Amino acid sequence: MKTSITALSILTLLCMVTSAFAADTVNGAGATFPYPVYSAWAYEYNKITGIRLNYQSIGSGGGQRQITDRTVDFGASDAPLKPEKLNKEKLLQFPAVIGGVVPVIQISKIKPGQLKLDSEAVCKIFLGEIKFWDDKKIKDMNTNLSLPHKEITVIHRSDGSGTTAIFTTYLSDTCAQWKERVGAGKAVKWPVGIGGKGNEGVANYVKRVKNSIGYVEFAYAKQNKLTYALLKNTAGTFVVPDIESFQAAAASGTFDPEKHFYLWLTNAPGKNAWPIAGATFILLAKEQKESNRNTVKFYDWAFKNGNKTAERLIYVPLPDSLKNLIREYWKKNDIY
Amino acid sequence: MAVLLKKNPIDILFLGITAIASLSVVLFIAGILYILFTESSESIGKFGILQFLFSLEWDPVQELFGAATSLFGTVVTTVISLMLAIPIAIGIAIFVTEISPNILKGPIGIAIELLAAIPSIIYGMWGLFTLAPIMSNYIEPALQKSIGKVPLVGMLFKGTPMGIDLLTASIILSIMIIPFTASIARDSFNLTPAVVKESAYALGATQWEVVKNIVLPYSKLGVFGGAVLSLGRALGETMAVAFVLGNNHQITSSLLDAAATITVTLANEFTEADTDIYLSSLFNLALILFVFSFIILATAKIFLLKAEKRYSR
Amino acid sequence: MTVEKRRQIESAVALSLSTFAAFLGLFWLIFILGDVLVHGVSAMKLSLFTEDPAPPGIAGGGLKNAFIGHVLITLCATMIGVPFGVLGGTFLAEYARGRRIARIISILSDIMVSVPSIVIGTFIYAVLVKPVGHFNGWAGAVALAIIMIPVVLRTTEDMLTLVPWTLREAAFALGAPYYKVIIQVVYRGASAGILTGILLSIARVSGETAPLLFTSFNNSFFSVNMNEPIASLTVTIFQYAMGPYDDWHAQAWAASLIIMIFILILTIIGRLIIKWRYGKR
Repeated sequence: MKTSITALSILTLLCMVTSAFAADTVNGAGATFPYPVYSAWAYEYNKITGIRLNYQSIGSGGGQRQITDRTVDFGASDAPLKPEKLNKEKLLQFPAVIGGVVPVIQISKIKPGQLKLDSEAVCKIFLGEIKFWDDKKIKDMNTNLSLPHKEITVIHRSDGSGTTAIFTTYLSDTCAQWKERVGAGKAVKWPVGIGGKGNEGVANYVKRVKNSIGYVEFAYAKQNKLTYALLKNTAGTFVVPDIESFQAAAASGTFDPEKHFYLWLTNAPGKNAWPIAGATFILLAKEQKESNRNTVKFYDWAFKNGNKTAERLIYVPLPDSLKNLIREYWKKNDIY
Repeated sequence: MAVLLKKNPIDILFLGITAIASLSVVLFIAGILYILFTESSESIGKFGILQFLFSLEWDPVQELFGAATSLFGTVVTTVISLMLAIPIAIGIAIFVTEISPNILKGPIGIAIELLAAIPSIIYGMWGLFTLAPIMSNYIEPALQKSIGKVPLVGMLFKGTPMGIDLLTASIILSIMIIPFTASIARDSFNLTPAVVKESAYALGATQWEVVKNIVLPYSKLGVFGGAVLSLGRALGETMAVAFVLGNNHQITSSLLDAAATITVTLANEFTEADTDIYLSSLFNLALILFVFSFIILATAKIFLLKAEKRYSR
Repeated sequence: MTVEKRRQIESAVALSLSTFAAFLGLFWLIFILGDVLVHGVSAMKLSLFTEDPAPPGIAGGGLKNAFIGHVLITLCATMIGVPFGVLGGTFLAEYARGRRIARIISILSDIMVSVPSIVIGTFIYAVLVKPVGHFNGWAGAVALAIIMIPVVLRTTEDMLTLVPWTLREAAFALGAPYYKVIIQVVYRGASAGILTGILLSIARVSGETAPLLFTSFNNSFFSVNMNEPIASLTVTIFQYAMGPYDDWHAQAWAASLIIMIFILILTIIGRLIIKWRYGKR
């Protein structure tokens, strides 16, 4: 009896003591879209400064929810919040990096960059109207490929996702039927398909399910050697998803600090612009000045030192002029 | 026992502490009910209890929510997994109690218990990496070629065999509940008095006749209770199905389609619901799951108690 | 065919079906255990225990944070769950023995044992995460403790009931107060059984994932601060197995193997104790 009581007290003590080890940690959660680059930055940052930035990729919906509930130090979302909503929830918002969403497929013998699609085809596939890979619509665009008569499995996100918001905004803008039947948002009512959790889950399912199509941030496609498709943009050219075409899309927009940088980059004009690009945003709780300073310090460091890492993962670093606008925005809100 | 307590104040203190500790269980149940109810009040207020239960909507864009699609997945996976698991579990119980030589009884008993101890996340992961490819490459196409051709029943096996669907999820769930059901069935079988069995053998009954006419009728309450208990377990299982169900809110006639259960919906969407009504609807789902499984588990418990009472005399 | 013959055949068929079922059960066990073993062993590396995770898509790194976090959460859950469970069981078996309240609480505990664990996760999110303002290890530990309490409570109750009443009477006759009798005589008599219950309850909660998803959350860095999000093996397995990276999959298998070995050992020890202590009767 005595021994067990002693054991229990030691245990209790242990648990209490551990709580005292409060090291420098910044907790963030949200979008899975920038997860590869944030965690690569955090890894380097931790090696240099010893500060730990714990970023959990739970989805943009989660990022917005958790920062609204103040359960994290910062939230991340690829779908920007409207200025009115930000003011209502007392949040700040700034972009961190720009990336592109790409359609990824798994069809035997088809290699990355071979399949061409336009927004109508993508829309109809995700609506369930185009059911087979050898549908006339797809064949006409890809006369050089031999497409199998296999049923298409659509893979989408099961969680609240900014990647989905960017993707469905693209579809809503280009495809009337989509706008009417489904609409745009972080989570929508999918007509067909199976849902994967996070960009990670979609990439995993596309890898494992034959004749499937999904959409992921380009870093996931690249890291996992998934087969991506070319897309026809508003200028009518089939563009390759790469850093140049994402940059071309990024160059088309102007971020306005007055609107908390609210901006979509889908269907950007420009001959070589990738049609499904987007910035990913950081959300801060206005009143948490102390933790905001830590978060901002990290992103300031990343803006200065993180461009290489971002480019290696095919994200587009923000242009310097925008970085300075963001620094002014921080100053204005007394967190820099 | 009150007599013993009179003298000693420490005794009264100890009594108090233990009483509080045991009442904590009641408090948790009441607390869970209360919290889930208050958290889902917004959703209940907006959609109504019955409407929410039967609404097919799960549309975060329009902010319309209903439990029907998640309930559908929960009910289908649970029912199919029970249909697969119960015959096998009873078979195992018969083998262990009536057939197996004594040397095998121990090891098989342990094996079954170990199977029950494997965490559900391992079942889920194994399902995604190992079972799903087998299903999509071999079993599902084979089913489509055979049963799939039969009118009406064939409907159940339409669509692309992708291995991430209701059927795979149900099979994993059934593997998970087999040991559980089997061990309860075994315990019930063991309650059959040896005298009765021996008299039947003396009359020249075969082994199967003894099982069929003596053991099974004798233990049917217990076996039924065990089956209901497994039902309760299967209802609330999350991780074993989360990997292979495909997370799609839809009601479908084919077992080869993706679906969602209440538990999977919660696991996927709980931390990411952005609007209040969304989160409140998820709490509402949790409340429904809690109430249903509570009722089912209570029913199972009543049957098991009855069985125990009847035969322990 | 004679009736006799038909009965024999029927019996043989039914019995072989049962035998088949038993071996089917064994087959799954061997299949799953073997699969985890093969994949897990091939992914086993020393760096798994000594390093924190590398960023996704970059090979290397380990799960040190998750191992330590998992042990910590489970220990703290045990610390909360065991006293509640043992004391609660004591009340049912001793002070309230034979009373209606004991019966009701013990039935409710049996039900609580099987209540969906994800529901407990949502409950704890509402009471210990949202009000506190951040995900934290304590919330995870409490969620696991709530699952643990009814298990420990019921085994304690059963084990205390097994201690012969005459033993208590002997102690009463010496003038000992009831609490002393319980602590010094009854607990001693039932200690092996209670220990088994505790071991099995630890085995049960250490494989739980669902209640940790919304409570202790996850942390990609090493942390022992229970007031913060903390990594756990099971949540990490969920994230890694769902993810697309081969490296993640390998680590998820390795982590599964370790959790499985841990749980199987606890379960076997628990069974051995029971056999050793109660098997002879």
